[in-house]
Amino acid sequence: MERVAGFIIIVGTILWLFSVIVLEGRWQWQMFSALVLTIGIFCAHFWEELRDTDSSKD
Amino acid sequence: MARERVSQADEWQAWAQRYDIEGGIRTFESGLTVKVFVGALFVGLLMMPGSIYLSYVSGESGAGAAPWVAVILFTELARRSFTTARRQELYMLLGLTGAAVGSGMQYRSFIWYAYFINTPQAASYEIADKIPAWVVPAGDSVGVLTRSLLHPDWLLPIGVYLVGKLLGTLRSVSAQYILFRLTADLERLPYPMAPITAQGATALAETTGKEETWRWRVFSIGSMAGLVWGFLYIGVPSLTGVMMSTPIQILKIPWIDFTQSIEGFAPTGVFALRTDFGQMLFGFVLPFPIVMTEFIAAMATQFVLNPQILYRFEILHQWKPGLDVRAVGLYNGLDFWMSAGMGKSFSFAIVGMAASIPMLFKMRRSKKTAGERGSFAPPPNRGDFPIWLMGLLWLVGMGGFVWLIHWMVPNFPLSFLLGFAFLYTPLNSYITARTFGVLGRDLFDIPYLHEITFILSRYEEVDIWFAPLPDEDYGRGTQSWRVLELTGTTFTSNLAGTLLIMPILIVSGIVVLHFIWKIAPIPSAQYPYAQMMWPINATNECLWKTSLRDGNSQMLQAIRGDYVAAGFTGSLAIYGMLWYFKLPSMWFYGIVGGIGADPGSMIARLLGAVIGRFYMIKRFGMKRWYMFNPVLAAGFACGVGLIGMGTVAIALVSKAVIVKPF
Repeated sequence: MERVAGFIIIVGTILWLFSVIVLEGRWQWQMFSALVLTIGIFCAHFWEELRDTDSSKD
Repeated sequence: MARERVSQADEWQAWAQRYDIEGGIRTFESGLTVKVFVGALFVGLLMMPGSIYLSYVSGESGAGAAPWVAVILFTELARRSFTTARRQELYMLLGLTGAAVGSGMQYRSFIWYAYFINTPQAASYEIADKIPAWVVPAGDSVGVLTRSLLHPDWLLPIGVYLVGKLLGTLRSVSAQYILFRLTADLERLPYPMAPITAQGATALAETTGKEETWRWRVFSIGSMAGLVWGFLYIGVPSLTGVMMSTPIQILKIPWIDFTQSIEGFAPTGVFALRTDFGQMLFGFVLPFPIVMTEFIAAMATQFVLNPQILYRFEILHQWKPGLDVRAVGLYNGLDFWMSAGMGKSFSFAIVGMAASIPMLFKMRRSKKTAGERGSFAPPPNRGDFPIWLMGLLWLVGMGGFVWLIHWMVPNFPLSFLLGFAFLYTPLNSYITARTFGVLGRDLFDIPYLHEITFILSRYEEVDIWFAPLPDEDYGRGTQSWRVLELTGTTFTSNLAGTLLIMPILIVSGIVVLHFIWKIAPIPSAQYPYAQMMWPINATNECLWKTSLRDGNSQMLQAIRGDYVAAGFTGSLAIYGMLWYFKLPSMWFYGIVGGIGADPGSMIARLLGAVIGRFYMIKRFGMKRWYMFNPVLAAGFACGVGLIGMGTVAIALVSKAVIVKPF
């Protein structure tokens, strides 16, 4: 889960840089990048908070 | 070596624990006694005029010192009478004196709008004649022109304010109590920052015992430093202002502007050195990584991002040589930073939700296994209230408030008011109460909520901008109930003290502000801070209040979707990258807070942080330094406040008796 969250965050960041540098900062593309980043950040925090509970259950 | 990942909650709690040096107590006593009540009233009312005056002179009210002065007086009297002061009494004294000294400030908006209604800005934006009568009397009314708050013209604004205050007290007390019971009693959230507040009262209560502790010495060192600084920064201008038409300022208040000096190599950059070096004390107390990253981000903005990128690509296009910090700040804001700032704030909301929602899941799971939480029974003798009564009071308070707003702006859709009052406010407050309970700070905030609401409601009149909306947040206040619990103060005594002192403060606050306004117009040369800031504030207020009126206002044009998206997504990317590289989440708040800000305003804080981190911690050790910090800051605030109050009292008296021939 940690790697998945990290991957999504990297993709979101690259998408954002691409939208600013190549696509002239169009807000639609930037917001799409924001959506990807938001998913990544939520994944990261869910993994962070629930990892101890999960491991204890295992 | 790979860096170990630390969750945000753990990271913040580790910081909170540095300040937490003792546990809570279990016995409860009343803190309200006649001597506490009279003492608070005496010191509070004595300092209130100076506090109001200081806020117009230097932008800082110095009100933080008053409660400490009351407590020191109280403890000294106790020592000389061979008795002891209880920590419950001292905490109560802190609260009541704070309320008393701040009571004049509650009417500040009357003076502001009395100025605003007659500004050229309000006239040119065509809102001067549209300001409702429940905000301020007409610009040409006797009450405004003669600068008299006691004139009958002010009856309506003051009456509306008082009804609002009464209903507000009902709502906040009841809602805070219910949320406290839910989060502290039922869910047993730790409230990590509450012990810091409780420590102040403990520090001074100890001095009335048999042994004198380190706390008193540290408090005295802070007070002396504050006295010296207060004399240089506030005392000299105030005293010379009595004798001269232009007061002498050893350090220019509020800043020394270097913006024109850097425009050669950093066009569109701002740098104004804030001269209030009392901010160093905040640098001591605040976490070092936040202060440092904030400063670096601000420097990068003003010396790289603004001049080398945003200016070159003509995003910052209104700038021209020779402008001062205020004008450059305004133009940069309109061109880019206002929009980007909105985006940044939205990112805080997302990051806050991302951190708090998984926390709810975790707590739900651990509750089942631990089996300790879930009891709603309060500890004995705490002075609790029936929950149903508090619920009823909140309903009455909120219902009355919605009715009041509907009376103020009858054409504004009632459904929005009801939605805010009974859906948004409870939800928002509960989330904040939880984040305070876990992290000791607020994480959830929807920025520009009012503006969004006004757009959605299609309501275009200016009067709605002057009305309050029932979008409230009681979560922050739950922490003070936890402090009461930690100091062992009964809830009933605190509530009784608050209710008893309120009517006295309502009357005294208005009389004192009336007198200060009578002495000289606000703003004028006698009030340098107000004279410097109020004109620019008036322009900003006009821009906001007309932003939705005709669809082509400057403010509305300034808000651009692509720039909002850039601020929002850029901030999320920064957060994501910090998480990916396992860097402290604290950096995020520093970096995003610093981007777009003026680094000159942070120099004093940075100096304090560096001295604390690289000298004080080595000298005293981490634990002792974090024990000293809050007490030292309290002492400094006390010293500045004392010197401020002293010199301001001299200035007030002399201005009241000298009649100038011109």
